[in-house]
Amino acid sequence: MRATMKSLAALLGGLAVVASAGMAIAQETPPAGGEPKDFNLAEATEFELPNGLGVTMVPYGKVPKTTVQLVIRTGNIDESADEVWLADLMGDLMKEGTTTRSAEDIAREAASMGGSLNIGLGLDRSSVSGTVLAEFGTDLVALIGDVTLNPAFPESELDRLRGDRIRQVSIARTRAQSVTQERFRAVMYPDHPYGRLYPTEEQLQGYTLEQVRGFYEANFGAARSHLYVTGMFDEAAIREAIEAAFSGWKEGPPATVDIPEPVTGRAVHILDRPGAPQSTIQVGLPTVDPSHEDFVALSVSNALLGGSFASRITANIREDKGYTYSPFSQVSSRYRDAYWVEMADVTTAVTGASLDEIFYEIDRLANEPPSEEELRGIQNYLAGIFVLQNSSRAGIVGQLAYMRLHGLPDDYLETYVDRIYAVTPEEVQRIVQEYIRPDDMLLVVTGDRDQVEEQLVEFGTPIVD
Amino acid sequence: MRRTSLWAGAAAIVAMALTACQPADQPTAELDTAFSVPVEYYTLDNGLRVVLSPDNTAPIVTVAVYYNVGLRLEPRDRTGFAHLFEHMMFQGSENLGKMEFVRLVQEVGGVLNGSTRMDFTNYFEIVPAHKLETMLWAEADRMKGLAITQENLTNQQGVVSNEVKVNVLNQPYGGFPWLDMPQLANTNWYNAHNFYGELSDLEAATLEDVQEFFDTFYAPNNAALAVVGDFDPAEARAWIEQYFGPIAAGPEVPEFDISEPRQEEEKRSSKVDALAPRPALAFAYHTPERNSPEYWAFGLIDQILVQGEDSRLFQRLVQEDGFTAGVGGSMNDLGNIYNYEGPMLWTVSLYHDADVSADDILAAADEVVERIRTEPVDEETLARARTKLKSSLLNSMEGLFGFGRADLLASFALFDDDPSRINRIEEEFAAVTPELILQTAQEYLRPTNRTILTVEPGAAEGGAAAGAGSR
Repeated sequence: MRATMKSLAALLGGLAVVASAGMAIAQETPPAGGEPKDFNLAEATEFELPNGLGVTMVPYGKVPKTTVQLVIRTGNIDESADEVWLADLMGDLMKEGTTTRSAEDIAREAASMGGSLNIGLGLDRSSVSGTVLAEFGTDLVALIGDVTLNPAFPESELDRLRGDRIRQVSIARTRAQSVTQERFRAVMYPDHPYGRLYPTEEQLQGYTLEQVRGFYEANFGAARSHLYVTGMFDEAAIREAIEAAFSGWKEGPPATVDIPEPVTGRAVHILDRPGAPQSTIQVGLPTVDPSHEDFVALSVSNALLGGSFASRITANIREDKGYTYSPFSQVSSRYRDAYWVEMADVTTAVTGASLDEIFYEIDRLANEPPSEEELRGIQNYLAGIFVLQNSSRAGIVGQLAYMRLHGLPDDYLETYVDRIYAVTPEEVQRIVQEYIRPDDMLLVVTGDRDQVEEQLVEFGTPIVD
Repeated sequence: MRRTSLWAGAAAIVAMALTACQPADQPTAELDTAFSVPVEYYTLDNGLRVVLSPDNTAPIVTVAVYYNVGLRLEPRDRTGFAHLFEHMMFQGSENLGKMEFVRLVQEVGGVLNGSTRMDFTNYFEIVPAHKLETMLWAEADRMKGLAITQENLTNQQGVVSNEVKVNVLNQPYGGFPWLDMPQLANTNWYNAHNFYGELSDLEAATLEDVQEFFDTFYAPNNAALAVVGDFDPAEARAWIEQYFGPIAAGPEVPEFDISEPRQEEEKRSSKVDALAPRPALAFAYHTPERNSPEYWAFGLIDQILVQGEDSRLFQRLVQEDGFTAGVGGSMNDLGNIYNYEGPMLWTVSLYHDADVSADDILAAADEVVERIRTEPVDEETLARARTKLKSSLLNSMEGLFGFGRADLLASFALFDDDPSRINRIEEEFAAVTPELILQTAQEYLRPTNRTILTVEPGAAEGGAAAGAGSR
């Protein structure tokens, strides 16, 4: 069903393995397969426009499509406490037309190229992007350039878009996963944009066209942006189109650097959801970000602990106990900031039992290194995922943009697999001891308070609302 | 160039070179945008349909096994069983104990999944290319038979009931419209029951049910195998013969009458969603029989009316009237317009505010629908719709590292016995005339062919819900 047809990211955390229970006696062993084939990372060409806009072009694949993605180092990080989602509203309004194109023109032109124009505002990165049939690659560059440089910001559309965002927030606040995430972030990042996941209706009602324009003027510019082109394209023609579309862009200010100081320490929060059949859990703590020397070892440890199908937590609470469908842990990162989190929706009656098992698995890995064999399995898995991550247009752009954001060295991709395999069992144990510390974890549970509160007392005095 | 070891073997990563800037006036070859999918198709003696489609873009390979049984064909007192059964296929076979299959895939550096759709259940792996033989062996092992215990079944009943809770019961708009609409618009039980399953039915399932379902549907003569990616077809053929060849054919699968009668009256229902803070609206029409001339015309109608921000319903309901932020629409909510076989609905859905009535929105939508029923589409609109279809077909083929291509090939093998038609789809759409679009719209977008569903909000505005799911 749709529900089981997960995206790749979710797929990494779906099913799981139980090593002991119910194993059949193997009469045949799997054929080992042949010799591994070489993997060619796609070759990139880079250049920079005089205004500071960096460009990376990566020819890739045989499917006649071109992806163009402009990444701008701005987003919610540039909002003040009373401007939550002003960035998002600005992004909405950018699609409503340029000085020479109406919203319908933009939609039709993109559709005639076999694509659509997408604008997404994120926490510390935003993008204007599209994927079209390859013969229209240069036209897409021109369209993205016009939308980015010459937005009309028509006042006539502001109230409609505001209403859409108010409706979206209203619905998000009835989703257990959204409100859990909102609280988790608010507690971890007080007084920082990362801690303000949703605006109030009053905030959205209050934003003016001047504020929208002001946000654009203050935060859009070539110096903090990078353009990626990948897929099938004619390099010379694309380059010419980029120069034509973006040379006139103002340099603008550099990206904002506002590194948060997240709160670390055990706290238990309950968000009451009367009658809920499940409890929605997020449990985690701030940790090291991708620029840290321990980050690769942390990624390996996370995959083994809770971040893959065969991981220990998933094997325990899903495949052994049947408490949940889609438990998953990850290291969520932003520029010089990251936290580790385990997320799960568990049957209400086993809320406390699920947390006991999660902490049991963390403690077990902190107390005893994994076997060489278990670790090797995870390393093979991450090496395979690495190939997948670099084997699609979106994946290639994602990897390059990730390196650029975090300031990773040029040989990052080339050496990544070696660094995965260099992690030892003892290092995994040390990483868990050092970075995945239950005593310092924030625990947010959205569920039926009457049934859940007592189950959570063992983890700390719950703050309830 | 630096080389590093990969998958603990001899493979190397060839480094990305960040080359210096090339002169812009460098002459370049003409862009070659022709694209066609290589297809080798044959059938084993036991009836297994096999499709091979090599592509050496990346050193990965997709193995996908499709069984010709989906959500429609489950036992009447066992709603949700086809999907529960899908979970059982990961619980153990002759040579792979519980979840050893999953670990095997992960430890070779691959990913896997299974899904249950209207007319098939699939199982697939995307792995490093040199592990193709391993995956063929593993899929053949579970095609031979299952080896599971009551404990495994009980465990997965727990997992699936949690899946229903997280996706439906504890979500605002859970099951809207994909689970709700087939139950309202269809009249034949096979098309009109709860596909996810009632929790009581899921709990009632036994090991005997599991065995009977396997014996009825899970045989090579009711399945297709697709292999896509970086492999040598001759080598793949030999392995497929070696591992799948010895599996005995099963009995002929019984015939099921899944037909739907022509709908003659508009239907309308409403449901209160205790978790939802705002109203929602969906409407659906039964679509033309798959592969008929009208079906291809309807594919274009879908593009013109609801796909993309250039579509007429988006332009009217979002851009002009401001009723909603977006309009969802699809001809097959659980897949795409190609990968099903049987009666289908074209469903449109949206969320809106309480100060606008569903009738006002329907009146606006009706104007858009009536236009395509009475006015031939212009050339520009038709050309754009064809371009969008071509592009979305390429998207489908590219999806998930080659799995999307395997999905189409396996579906065309199972349902049409002709996977090579993947290369002829563009022609089918090119043959559709404005007159055919008009005729198709007149018959299939009749008000009497429509079912309307409204969702009434039962939750406090912007706050915690008053109660959990109403079912």
